[in-house]
Amino acid sequence: MKRGFAWVVSLVVTALSIAALAARVGEPAPNFTATDSNGKAHTLSSYRGKFVVLEWHNQGCPYTKKHYDSGNMERLQKEWTQKGVVWFTVISSAPGTQGYVTAEQENDYMRRMNAAPTAALLDPTGDLGHLYGAKTTPHMFIINPDGVLIYDGAIDDKSTPDQADIPSSTNYVSLALSEAMSGKPVSTPTSRPYGCSVKYAH
Amino acid sequence: MRALIAFALLLAGMTAGLHADERGVAIPHGTVALVSEEQSIRPGQTLLLGLHFRLEPGWHIYWINPGDSGEPPRLDWHLPAGLRAGVIEWPAPKRLPIPPLVDYGYEGEVLLPVQVISTTELAVGASVTLAADMKAIVCREVCIPAKASLSLSLPVRAERPRELAESAALFSAVRKAMPKPTPAGWRATAKDLGDSFELTVNTGRMISQAWFAPLEPQIIENATPQKTASIKTGIRLILKKSDQLLKPVPQLRGVLVLPQSAYMIDAPVAPAAAKRPKKEQ
Repeated sequence: MKRGFAWVVSLVVTALSIAALAARVGEPAPNFTATDSNGKAHTLSSYRGKFVVLEWHNQGCPYTKKHYDSGNMERLQKEWTQKGVVWFTVISSAPGTQGYVTAEQENDYMRRMNAAPTAALLDPTGDLGHLYGAKTTPHMFIINPDGVLIYDGAIDDKSTPDQADIPSSTNYVSLALSEAMSGKPVSTPTSRPYGCSVKYAH
Repeated sequence: MRALIAFALLLAGMTAGLHADERGVAIPHGTVALVSEEQSIRPGQTLLLGLHFRLEPGWHIYWINPGDSGEPPRLDWHLPAGLRAGVIEWPAPKRLPIPPLVDYGYEGEVLLPVQVISTTELAVGASVTLAADMKAIVCREVCIPAKASLSLSLPVRAERPRELAESAALFSAVRKAMPKPTPAGWRATAKDLGDSFELTVNTGRMISQAWFAPLEPQIIENATPQKTASIKTGIRLILKKSDQLLKPVPQLRGVLVLPQSAYMIDAPVAPAAAKRPKKEQ
């Protein structure tokens, strides 16, 4: 039953990926429906009126670890979801590759790390990753309440796996959300998304 | 006490000295060492050092523009007064496909040259230790951060330095691998075609095979195959623009990599002829 459902969802994502081209800042963000680690389906368009953050994730990647082991990502998730932002962690690692997790493993991980996204979307086919052109972990996207992509890039300006670099870095996600929420244009709408390559199926 | 330990470590580094490049410092899936082209330093002269990586097959490190993932190695120098290190100089990279991404870097063995400038402050007779903390990311399907504290000791002598026999082959190979300045008489120009750039390199001779490695990220889609067309006087390449490129770029800067050589390119970009009406949906 569960498997049949996932199959339908992946078909929906595939169909949309053909209709829409790449995700591009300033243009409507491609719509998608994907399933989270609790089996719940989320459709982007149903979150109109809210800011949505997409965070590409691989728990084995040193760059992801930098932001999770330091508590930085968890802090950002708490801070922004408390301000009404919808935060999706997206896992596009294919089965057998680094970062691939079952729903149960992801829920264990989130509990252990005290992670607080709205939901973790499981994308083992890579359809959602390809739809957005997600390149690295972490690669961050922000969609505004009108459904327009307003940020595509790195989490911050220090492209290293060192936790020690976090305090002195400029967090592009917080910067973009703060600016957009106060009605200002996003000063850094794109940046090179640093990190490990997303472990897509070949 | 701490200073004493540091001094003892320095001495240990010195005795390891010239032989350090034989083994290098272990990093994940390889070794890295600081090597010198010459046996000694002459005050007031430039010395060429190299960061020598030897990685297991399939593992790679990155170019100055790493492409879609990864990051280039970095050095944090600790040099005595009278010595100043330049930046890492980058041999022509390889295109490293990790479908659906493409990175730029080096597989297996590579030497990254760094010039060290000495001043006449440097006292003849003493030995000096050049030390650097190296950080890199070593990747195959997965990536592993690498850190190494490297050092090299060299005597300071008044006479002209002699080549260090064991590094000669390494340095002569890297000289060939470095991108050459654009030769006089070459002309590189680019056109903004809306979704892509058309880069034309006129060399006076037909070039049958080449690819363009962009110096800066977020300029082209690294993974999109570069369409090339040989022309009588050179080569023309079609480079898809990065989805992240939101503003026009005045110059295309990078390296034109040919099968046996590479050249620095700095091509002015002629703006798009006319703005196409934006398609709805």
